Amino acid sequence: MKRFEDHNPIAVFLYFAGVTVPVMFCRDWLLPLLCAAGVMLYGFSSEGPAAGNKLWLIPAAAALLAVINPIFNHNGMTVVLLVNDMPVTLEAAAYGAATGLMLGAVFAWFRYFSEVMTSDRILYVFGAVSPKLALILSMTLRYIPLYSRQAGIVRRAARASGAGRDETVLDHVRTGLRVFSVLVTWGLENGLVTADSMVARGYGGARRTRYAIYSWRKRDYLLLAAVLILTGAAVTAVAADWVGMDFYPYIAVREMTPLTAAAYTLYAILAALPAAVNLAERVSWHRRIGS
Amino acid sequence: MNQLEVRNLTFEYAIGGRQVLRDIGFDLTAGDFLTVCGSTGSGKTTLLRCLKRELIPAGKLTGSVLIDGIPVSEMKPSESAAAVGFVMQDPEQQIVTDKVWHELAFGLENLGTAPDLIRRKVAEMAAYFGIESWFEKATDELSGGQKQLLSLAAVCLMDPKILILDEPTAQLDPVAAADFLGIVSRLNREMGITVIAAEHRLEQVLPYSSKLLVIEDGRTAAFGGVQEVIGTILEKSDLMRTMPAGVRLFHEFDRGISTVSAPDTSDVTGSADASSAVRIPLTVPECAAWLRKNLTPGRSESENAAPAPGNAASPAIEVSDLWFRYERKGPDILRGTAFSVMEGEIFSILGGNGSGKTTALGCIAGLYKAYAGRINIFGHKLADYRNNSLYHDCLSMMPQDVQTLFLHGTVRQELADARDMLDRIPYDFSPLLDMHPYDLSGGQQQLVALAKVLAPRPRLLLLDEPTKGLDPLMRGRIADVLRALRTDGMTIVIVTHDVEFAAEISDRCAMFFRGEVVSEAVPRRFFAENKFYTTQVSRITRGLLDGCVTYEDAVDILRRKI
Repeated sequence: MKRFEDHNPIAVFLYFAGVTVPVMFCRDWLLPLLCAAGVMLYGFSSEGPAAGNKLWLIPAAAALLAVINPIFNHNGMTVVLLVNDMPVTLEAAAYGAATGLMLGAVFAWFRYFSEVMTSDRILYVFGAVSPKLALILSMTLRYIPLYSRQAGIVRRAARASGAGRDETVLDHVRTGLRVFSVLVTWGLENGLVTADSMVARGYGGARRTRYAIYSWRKRDYLLLAAVLILTGAAVTAVAADWVGMDFYPYIAVREMTPLTAAAYTLYAILAALPAAVNLAERVSWHRRIGS
Repeated sequence: MNQLEVRNLTFEYAIGGRQVLRDIGFDLTAGDFLTVCGSTGSGKTTLLRCLKRELIPAGKLTGSVLIDGIPVSEMKPSESAAAVGFVMQDPEQQIVTDKVWHELAFGLENLGTAPDLIRRKVAEMAAYFGIESWFEKATDELSGGQKQLLSLAAVCLMDPKILILDEPTAQLDPVAAADFLGIVSRLNREMGITVIAAEHRLEQVLPYSSKLLVIEDGRTAAFGGVQEVIGTILEKSDLMRTMPAGVRLFHEFDRGISTVSAPDTSDVTGSADASSAVRIPLTVPECAAWLRKNLTPGRSESENAAPAPGNAASPAIEVSDLWFRYERKGPDILRGTAFSVMEGEIFSILGGNGSGKTTALGCIAGLYKAYAGRINIFGHKLADYRNNSLYHDCLSMMPQDVQTLFLHGTVRQELADARDMLDRIPYDFSPLLDMHPYDLSGGQQQLVALAKVLAPRPRLLLLDEPTKGLDPLMRGRIADVLRALRTDGMTIVIVTHDVEFAAEISDRCAMFFRGEVVSEAVPRRFFAENKFYTTQVSRITRGLLDGCVTYEDAVDILRRKI
């Protein structure tokens, strides 16, 4: 039994794409609402009340855009009031609210994405394209902290040996250049050691394989299949214009047909999937172990 | 059959044209543990590199290196990469990837091993090395000791027959170094991997070794079993200086004991039979047993001359109740640190990794700001030194990685500002002047860096690990320089792991633990009270001779007693 975020990163990555992309390309009120509900369920299921820190943004964004959009956008037929001879319309407010809901929900999903998809998970996803690319990314990620730390060491060394003055702007520039120059020499010289270490361990010989700590088990395949099918359904529904509505000139919510109902249901399942997976994990724990 | 045969190996670098190795030859059988010793620049590293096909430097190589009868140069690339494992000195730069697990798998990925097999092997090796608890960590978060262990494990995953280690513990603290050598010895004994190690810390590595190769100026000075090699070099005083203190004491006094007197070192006659008949003690218990057997029984003598430092000098540094952390929510690194350093003394700070030594030095140098407590430098508050006046004519610091100080193409340019300070350093820089600083040996780099930090004419010198990775000869040079500077009235604070060096040079020593000074005394008392952070001589003579910390102390006392 795994939590949602512990599944194979490729499935998790595709999920985040699948749950956000259709919403961004569709003008609708129900789809953003389902999306927001999904991320809220997921947030509370994985981090409890602390999720509020991320999720308050969703209603806030909806409210904010509901107010701001009518100020700049004067389309729509239902005039609520006139300000400086400019009509403030109900349609613009509704459109703002729907867009804010969408933005807030997508943004919340992105925040969870950046938390869940740590560097090695991202690396795994992109490394699936090519083992060489995976290695380059991995080495880059190693060098970034290494160099930034070394820059600090060089700067302090310069200062405490009496070489770095920082009285004027020019001094700052000079010190910065000096740090950079030392860093380049240091990097080139010591890069040779890394190169030796790579060659000594057979780099550049046979065709590289790729080892990853993530594996594919039955659950991962199940999640992947669910993500692919549900996302496919959502994308098709949006592309074929089965879901969606018009805000201008009138708010025109389409009539629910069996087809649209099915599309919304499938998307609702997609949005609730992470929360459901987490819930299943929790139920399994409680049933076997107790509280 | 010999696993490794080296025959008439001669090597000349493409640039420079100097013969670095001349006619080296030796054999090893599977499961040997060979220690290679020799001073810096004797050709140790070149020799080790010539044994690994991928790392043979550019130049002219004659003679042959055979592994299981096959010349190294004719081995298939994948075979050679796997058969010979190589671990280098620098913990930082030989790590390639960002995560521990990826670093472990790197070699096997290169060989094209199937992922399932990699998974199995990595799991097993991680368990053997005790890496499981930091398996998913970023390599950047590891300590130096962990990094070296990781490099070793990564190499071992490729199933090497021969493991070559080029001063792998030179950058580590004593505890981490002992751990590292311990696991190397386990690999040697339990897995039968042949080990070839170049090491400065002979006192730690010799007990594990089965063979010893001494290189002098690119030639084989001696090769064979550890006991017999030490026996043959007993009379070469320059090589003897690189031996562990216990061996040197044995050499100095064993003949003296058997012939009742004559501590005269120029006596050559008795040595040959002494070395063939007597087993030379290598470990601390062996040395202590030898000493106990040969000392006339009696109460342990209190030889404490107690050189009371009760001079009237004023304090150069006063640190009181200093508290520091790197981040607001991070842990405290300094926790009420307090100590003072008198003018004109050499003060050494010892302690484990992460005990706050280097941070304390950084605070004194004004690089980090403590959030509580105060630091006075020559009677003035640190904050009163404005506009970098602290770094002019007052204080200068040499960082741990001295390469960070070099920014010119030649030593001459590096030392341009320090020209008038050069006469104060008893070392001849003239042959180095036209070289690139990065091309110097580690010890030479230390000396150039030292000259460079002396350029602003400081009264207070802060040194962070000045002897890291240096051989005994170079350490002696550095010690001479520091003594000369002290005679000139300079105050010197040293942060170091090198207990032998600290014991030899310091006026006072302090021990750091969890950001506090837990003990502080003159070296004789300090090291006599410590159990682990102490010199080999102190460990050997514990309970037998009092106040014996350095080799010279022991020689002094034993001359009178034996």
